[in-house]
Amino acid sequence: MEEQFDAIVIGSGISGGWAAKELCDKGLKVLLLERGRDVVHLKDYPTATKDPWQFAHRGEMPPSVLKENPIVAKCYAFGEATEHFFVKDKEHPYIQEKPFDWIRAYQVGGKSLLWARQVQRWSKFEFDAPARDGYATPWPVNYDDMAPWYSHVEKFAGISGNKDGLENLPDGEFLPPWDMNVVEKHLVEQIKTNYPDRPAIIGRCAHLTQPQDIHIQQGRQQCQARSLCERGCPFGGYFSSNASTIPWAQKSGNLTLKTNSVVHSIIYDDKQKKATGVKVIDAKTKEATEYSARIIFVNAACINTNLILLNSRSDRFPNGLGNDNGLLGKFICFHNYRGSISATYEGFENFQTYGRRPTMIIMPSFRNVRKQEMPFKRGYLVAFTANRYQGTGYDGIGTELKDSMTQAGPWGIYMMMQGETIPKETNHVRLSTDKKDDWGIPQLITSVDYDENDELLVKDFHEQGVEMLTKAGCKNIYPRDSKQAPGLDIHEMGGVRMGKDPKTSMLNKWNQFHNCPNVFVTDGACMASTGTQNPSLTFMAITARAANHAAEEFKKGNL
Amino acid sequence: MDEVAETIFPKTSTPGAKEAKVGQFMTVMVNDCYTEDNQKAFHEGQAAINAACKKMHGHDFMKATPEDKKAVLVSLDPEVKEYQAKRKEFSKEQDDLEKKAQANGDTNFERKTMPDHYFTMMKQLTILGYFTSKEGRTGATRYEPVPGKYIGDLDYKKGDKIFTGLN
Repeated sequence: MEEQFDAIVIGSGISGGWAAKELCDKGLKVLLLERGRDVVHLKDYPTATKDPWQFAHRGEMPPSVLKENPIVAKCYAFGEATEHFFVKDKEHPYIQEKPFDWIRAYQVGGKSLLWARQVQRWSKFEFDAPARDGYATPWPVNYDDMAPWYSHVEKFAGISGNKDGLENLPDGEFLPPWDMNVVEKHLVEQIKTNYPDRPAIIGRCAHLTQPQDIHIQQGRQQCQARSLCERGCPFGGYFSSNASTIPWAQKSGNLTLKTNSVVHSIIYDDKQKKATGVKVIDAKTKEATEYSARIIFVNAACINTNLILLNSRSDRFPNGLGNDNGLLGKFICFHNYRGSISATYEGFENFQTYGRRPTMIIMPSFRNVRKQEMPFKRGYLVAFTANRYQGTGYDGIGTELKDSMTQAGPWGIYMMMQGETIPKETNHVRLSTDKKDDWGIPQLITSVDYDENDELLVKDFHEQGVEMLTKAGCKNIYPRDSKQAPGLDIHEMGGVRMGKDPKTSMLNKWNQFHNCPNVFVTDGACMASTGTQNPSLTFMAITARAANHAAEEFKKGNL
Repeated sequence: MDEVAETIFPKTSTPGAKEAKVGQFMTVMVNDCYTEDNQKAFHEGQAAINAACKKMHGHDFMKATPEDKKAVLVSLDPEVKEYQAKRKEFSKEQDDLEKKAQANGDTNFERKTMPDHYFTMMKQLTILGYFTSKEGRTGATRYEPVPGKYIGDLDYKKGDKIFTGLN
């Protein structure tokens, strides 16, 4: 007998996990499709508690692996302890019309196992800016629409943070904050003295600093400040689909999880004028199966969501699902991570840090926040940390070198930017007309690039960062432009953007296609602009909001 | 290689590089993780150290006293510094050539690199191998795989051993 589902969720990463959880909580029977293998919390984290000497190369990857995988090898989190959670280049080829480092993680939990876990809320300024400054299409939701949903996901996921009262980085539902260290406190004070409009705070991150009942019910424990998160956490100290939303949804009895299920396309029925299900290719046997449901959530992660939708062609939608305006796959945007600055600080030699804190100091954007005031569009968030180097000196050999290297050295500062990029029609993805992958799905062509505005942001960050650190008393200040390709930020967004107008956007304010309302897109693909904040929290909140709306409409018989 | 490593990181009140099996680690890393250029330079370096020892003390490195071994390795210092300066210069030249090629639209340009100096590699591998070994990390640092918390203003006095974690 064919299994019956009320809703299908495509993808089990950070947003798909939330869609599944919310729909299951509301009593819907949900099929969660994941193209990769299962990764069960605790059981499938093979390296989580390994000592460094238990790795043959102490964490480094042999050059043969790096040579075979030039794309994923660039990712900071890829190494001997984590490589089993990353897609290898050769397994899933795509075509780079312009350089684009597409970092992928095909398994239950997706990149939620590997993410950097920083969760700053958007403020009203980010939601309102496109309408105000005209660089993107207006958002159909505002901060007040989103605030309760931010709270909803924060309480469940567990977010540490301090209530700082900043208008452009709103407070949320926080567990106790992490500490700033002595040098960071000093720098924050110095910067605030010199630049009253540039407050910096301790970052908000998805770590349990003090688990509440809701987290204990999930079986999660306090973060132990190991900072080995990318291996999977044996304490469930940080939020992932694996530790949190998926087991929760499974406990409801309403979830069916199918792994190795590659979604080929969404099936649209011309007579019923709606999507009726999805076509799935078994990753191993290559056998095709169809599943039907009244609601479909597409959460395959931004670029793959675009791919699936572009490949969902029917008589009604010959150019991809919902693609009447021809904008599907266009206006891909990301975050500009190119600029960084290193420096040293002399002093505070009588202090050290203990433990490894999973967050940084965050300075929300201070450019074009309340009005357009700079010769470039938008701005950037600044993040920095201070830590003592290992060793008081590297010269010589013998006892003195050994003594030096076992002691704490001078304080080093690392500062980085997270710049907003401007959505452009030319930055797009599309399907290859002749190349297919091993599952008969057209390969994707990426055509995404920086522009003059991005160069100006890097320049401004370098100037301002160097000036702030100089005035704060830092030495040996070196700005650096990594020139890294788009994609390596792993903050890809857009292609299926939300908006008020069906002529210029794909999705309405509930993330439904304007012209196919039983299909919802709530991962990064739905974003109309990028903001300067780390995006995952907004993906989670927008997903929870859309899923609750979908469940209500389902119960009313409207879907 | 244990003897070279031990000379770089000798046994003191804490274990030395030999006890931490750094020599074996170096062999694995050079074989598995080094480019052919660097492998060649590394192996030639082993012979060069032996030759330098014969010249200075009249016998093989293996037979030298700890003091004599150290004298041999210290004597390499000017050569290492000179080589590193040359290598930096070479890298700059390549930067310029790369820029020129880009300006001329030449997409066939392949950047050349000079191998690292063998002694630089040996020193780097000794430090990495020592601090990621069980003996080095648990013996010479305060190893805290599960710190449980973060403290941003813990007292420190010169000479205190650093804290380390799992990575």
